[in-house]
Amino acid sequence: MAQHVVTMLPGEGTGPEICEAVRLVIDASGVDIKWEYEEIGLGCLEKYGTLLPDKTIKNIAKNKVALKGPTTTPIGTGHKSANVTLRKVFDLFANVRPAKLIPVLKRPWDTIDIINFRENTEDSYAAIEHMVSDEVAQCLKVITWPGSYRIADFAFQWAKANGRKKVYCVHKANIMKMTDGLFLDAFREAAKKYPEIEIGDVIVDNCCMQLVRNPAQFDCLVLPNLYGDILTDLCAGLVGGLGFAPGANIGDNCSIFEAVHGSAPKYAGMKKVNPSAVLVSGIMMLRWLKETAAADRIEKAMFAVLDERKHVTYDVGGTATTDEYAQAIVDKMHAKA
Amino acid sequence: MATTFSEAARATRKKKEIKLVGVDMYIVTEQGIPTFPDGEFGPFKCEFISNRGTKVWPGFVSPDLMMVNWYRCRFMSTRDVNDSDVDTFLSVLTKKGWWWSAAQKLWTHDGEAAYSKAY
Repeated sequence: MAQHVVTMLPGEGTGPEICEAVRLVIDASGVDIKWEYEEIGLGCLEKYGTLLPDKTIKNIAKNKVALKGPTTTPIGTGHKSANVTLRKVFDLFANVRPAKLIPVLKRPWDTIDIINFRENTEDSYAAIEHMVSDEVAQCLKVITWPGSYRIADFAFQWAKANGRKKVYCVHKANIMKMTDGLFLDAFREAAKKYPEIEIGDVIVDNCCMQLVRNPAQFDCLVLPNLYGDILTDLCAGLVGGLGFAPGANIGDNCSIFEAVHGSAPKYAGMKKVNPSAVLVSGIMMLRWLKETAAADRIEKAMFAVLDERKHVTYDVGGTATTDEYAQAIVDKMHAKA
Repeated sequence: MATTFSEAARATRKKKEIKLVGVDMYIVTEQGIPTFPDGEFGPFKCEFISNRGTKVWPGFVSPDLMMVNWYRCRFMSTRDVNDSDVDTFLSVLTKKGWWWSAAQKLWTHDGEAAYSKAY
């Protein structure tokens, strides 16, 4: 069996305890991973004067794949987001956010199985902002043809490889005719290479309404960065919240898998938070590394533990600690072996 | 006393002391990352260049980074400057053959930067 070398970024707040629990589960799955730990986030500021030290960048560049715990992003003022910096530095242009109903988490929907492909590097996230007078601020919404084409192309290729049937573009091109219009044009151009896949487009506000009324109608969605940021959380809410939402940031040569929830600093050290979001991100990572059997084993054991509800964390009605939940998943894997 | 929501909003305006400190130039070029030697642009000196919001000069640039033909070049002033200095600066840039799509003056508001940095 091939050994994988993966950069582990435990992050901040509850991140380190979550990542240790996730590592326990992944290591027990039979996959051979050498973990290399690196630092990221506010804790690095005092030590190195930056949220993302060069040592961390070099390690990720070497290993090409990383699993990341949550970090804290200051609101309004202060330093730039470590998450966004990572995406920018490695040009991780595709943010892949599956939203799939976990059977035991009861929701009013029968089936939800949506994969969101969020463009991850431009739009208003280009961070080009100015005060143009003392009472007017502006933020440039940067949409480019190559940036739009490659996320659409990526989404179509992913859809084709995974047997998905429909890919829809989400936009507001009826109002932002230049920027969102360009995004939609590039999507249509990329679609020409994939005639077997049904395409469509939906205006972002209508898409939100449709998602809460009839989410089962959607298969794959391609979105510019800001709409993607919002709609991926909406989709996560439909299937159980951010506590179960995986995320992958994928570039041409490097991939970082991460939970999308915050670092919950007030719970740090209490070992009570649910590590499932990082765990399902780890499952995505294993599938990306072609370790499908290990990924399936963990997922099956996790669903079984959730279904039994004996060793689940407080957010899903239990009293188990982070470690007890992780150990229950490990025990379940071994029991089925 | 304000009688409408609009008037009430206007009444909350806080005047700020504004000082010109630089210019963001948006330059279109097919020749890769532009270079601006120090000393050729009067009181303005290029501090960083970004592409799609990501800093591409100076410092580390990922070989994976996809760039487009549109660069934001931040020029900061090395002394007190005024609008005429900016006019001259733009003229110098044009004479040197740089094709620019837009210029955005950079100010401080009450001494605080009123512009974002690049990632």
